[in-house]
Amino acid sequence: MPVTGRTALLAALGSLPVGVVAPSWTGFLAVNAPLALACAYDFARAAPVRRLRLTRSGDTTTRLGEPADIQLTVTNPTNRPLRAELRDAWPPSSWQPGTEVSASRNRLDVPSGERRRLTTRLRPTRRGDHRADRVTIRSRGPLGLFTRQGSHRVPWTLRVLPPFTSRKHLPSKLARLRELDGRTSVLIRGQGTEFDSLREYVPGDDTRSIDWRATARQSAVAVRTWRPERDRHILLVLDTGRTSAGRVGDAPRLDASMDAALLLAALASRAGDRVDLLAHDRRVRALVQGKAAGDVLPSLVSALATLEPALVETDARGLTATALRAAPRSSLIVLLTSLDAAPIEEGLLPVLPRLTQRHTVLVASVADPHIAEMARARGSAEAVYDAAAAAQAQAERRRTAEHLTRHGVTVVDATPDDLAPSLADAYLSMKAAGRL
Amino acid sequence: MGQAQLPPAQDTRTPQPPDSGTSSTSTAPTSRELWTRSRGIALAVVVLLVAAVAIAAVRSGDRHGRLDPRSADPQGSRAVAELLADRGVSTRVVTTVKEAGDAAGPDTTLLVTDPDLLDDGRQSRLHDATVGSGGRTVLVAPGSPSVSKLAPGVTADPAASFDSTLSPDCALPAARRAGSADVGGVRYDTLVPGAEACYLDDGLPSLLHLPATTDKDAPSKTGDNAASSPKSNAEHTPRKGSQGPSEPSSRGDTVILGAPDILFNDRLDEHGNASLALQLLGSRPHLVWYLPSLSDDALDGTADNGDDSFFDLIPSGWLWGRLQLTVAAVLAALWRARRLGPLVPEKLPVAIRASETAEGRARLYRKANARDRAAAALRSATRTRLAPLVGVPTARAHTPEALLPALAGRLHSPGQDPHALLFGPPPGDDAGLTALVDRLDALESEVRGS
Repeated sequence: MPVTGRTALLAALGSLPVGVVAPSWTGFLAVNAPLALACAYDFARAAPVRRLRLTRSGDTTTRLGEPADIQLTVTNPTNRPLRAELRDAWPPSSWQPGTEVSASRNRLDVPSGERRRLTTRLRPTRRGDHRADRVTIRSRGPLGLFTRQGSHRVPWTLRVLPPFTSRKHLPSKLARLRELDGRTSVLIRGQGTEFDSLREYVPGDDTRSIDWRATARQSAVAVRTWRPERDRHILLVLDTGRTSAGRVGDAPRLDASMDAALLLAALASRAGDRVDLLAHDRRVRALVQGKAAGDVLPSLVSALATLEPALVETDARGLTATALRAAPRSSLIVLLTSLDAAPIEEGLLPVLPRLTQRHTVLVASVADPHIAEMARARGSAEAVYDAAAAAQAQAERRRTAEHLTRHGVTVVDATPDDLAPSLADAYLSMKAAGRL
Repeated sequence: MGQAQLPPAQDTRTPQPPDSGTSSTSTAPTSRELWTRSRGIALAVVVLLVAAVAIAAVRSGDRHGRLDPRSADPQGSRAVAELLADRGVSTRVVTTVKEAGDAAGPDTTLLVTDPDLLDDGRQSRLHDATVGSGGRTVLVAPGSPSVSKLAPGVTADPAASFDSTLSPDCALPAARRAGSADVGGVRYDTLVPGAEACYLDDGLPSLLHLPATTDKDAPSKTGDNAASSPKSNAEHTPRKGSQGPSEPSSRGDTVILGAPDILFNDRLDEHGNASLALQLLGSRPHLVWYLPSLSDDALDGTADNGDDSFFDLIPSGWLWGRLQLTVAAVLAALWRARRLGPLVPEKLPVAIRASETAEGRARLYRKANARDRAAAALRSATRTRLAPLVGVPTARAHTPEALLPALAGRLHSPGQDPHALLFGPPPGDDAGLTALVDRLDALESEVRGS
């Protein structure tokens, strides 16, 4: 029964007259009948929750760790004023931890025929789509003795995007990219570069790059400049299988891989390359293809937002087949997976030649700083056994990496913080060397 | 500058705000939904009520007004009461044990129609009231728990009599005059001396007349007898046709009837039923007809037994105040129990540490004392780190012939044996393993420092 604390308090105070003045059924009724009547009046005067109209507006996306404001408009079409307590329910991870109760509840007064707007501030702690649950409204009567309660479903979805913390590395990597690009004086002629323009010879230029035909037409000596080939094709492949679920620090490996993938995509789309993305475990989780350079990063971010590690063994054969279909011509395939021995040796190595046959393959893996910490442990027998196990794990990783290198694969193995810049560096050096 | 490209407010993949327009968003069920949901339960309740009423109507016929001196039903007892009234015996109906006890007296017959309905407290109270009153007590078909309480020394046989009509077969004048009657029902056995057993079936009586006893010694004496000489049953079996009191005694006697049939309206005119009933009930000028009822609360209201409960002693104002406080507590509970909407469920993320396998392996090493494996792993790691420092390719780092000569040039402190350290046998105990690691570290730092 939707009574309030005030009702209970009045009933408790009523025990004084019942006990002292009239200890009988008469006294009992004399206290409780007016209380019941007041409750009935309150119920009749409280605004009915069912007839309220609710609409939402506000943010549909936010970055992880940043707040999002969602507005809720409550219209009261009835002829009774609404005095209510309102709870805007969202999944627990949508709130800053510890503030779930205070942040979701609001007091609300809407006079008859008017409307009010509430702002719910979410601060999601998890990536992905957060869907609003119901809005529950408890409408009080004028005496505050009795309430009506009801819920409304006002759907809204807030997409929480990956934080992309590695974007702080982007300016320095872009600067390096421009150095490669021939806009500065460094010029390398070789495989994977293409003709850019002619300019006047300055002392120090490679004499072999003098274009004699152009010099003949002009009065000055002209040299050819070269720049790295553009419009290369890069396919980012994220392995979302069980090895990506393991937590390094307090985030899954997949999150570190995503961060690295986003930095690489941002860099490559600036460098004029085309970036596609494939996320795969036993089936395709996400596929972004053929986006224009300005559109590729938003698409990737949005596609990665809802990606979660799946606790299944990755189907390397299916992954390879899908990747080969998605990367039609000679391109760079960046495989973000883990260097655990068993999945690589049994899953990836047998099918790797199909990839390396037509494409350049780069494998990036998230190393666990905790293993390195264990390897440095000394002092007691326990610590030494820890160190031995960690050394063994590192040796296995190294062996797996060597296996891959022998197949012509470039391997980047770095801790979560270093993975994104290391991968970007690997990409830049491959571009500089014209290996794309 | 990278940020300029980033978030995608106008991305086509982001979810579009759904159209929450004119249609109601309320989750409260409409009256039609409520009806659809609750009609099954409502139907079940209706069926249940109809069935209950029907069964009650069908079953109530035979028990209604049973043994009530005011009832003219076949199983009522109005005929007996009328006949008694014709003979100057006044009949008074009581329904509580208090009234029955108060009415007991030397010139009164107390008829208890259903002793089994009385609980222990009421039975002992009734017994206390009747045993010293000097009147007659007639118990109609008491079962074994109640008969032992109301008439100590008497037990009821678990097997009922086969035949309902029995012949008197005893010296009780009332029985002899009445002849055969419909008293066959519960059969009794007694150790009380002087008890008269009539209407025997298979050796056990269906009508038992217990003579007047002094209220002091009767229960204790029979108790002693029953306890001390269980095997002497034969001595104490009721004497047939002995010198039982033919005149109503001034002290109270007890009659136990095995069946109520002789009191029913429709059976009164058969055999010697009427005669027996009139003689048993008409021996005193007053008849108190006690119809036990479950609503008898006379016992609770009495204040004479001295063991009043706590609530009897506190003033009534406290009781009413307490009742009102209970109401307040219930209201407070209802207030606090109401949630503002249900909990919102959410899938929890997987929480596995990536380093778990390495930690598990460390625990396995420790548990199995795998010093050989641990030492091999540590030595191999040191060799792998040393090889590039001394200019040996990593692939040849684990061959002593390649590594040791290169290493020798970099070691200056005497007394070291790099071969034993890097390729030696595994240590014998955990202390040796710890020492080995320290020496490996020392070797590595020396090579790095040189």
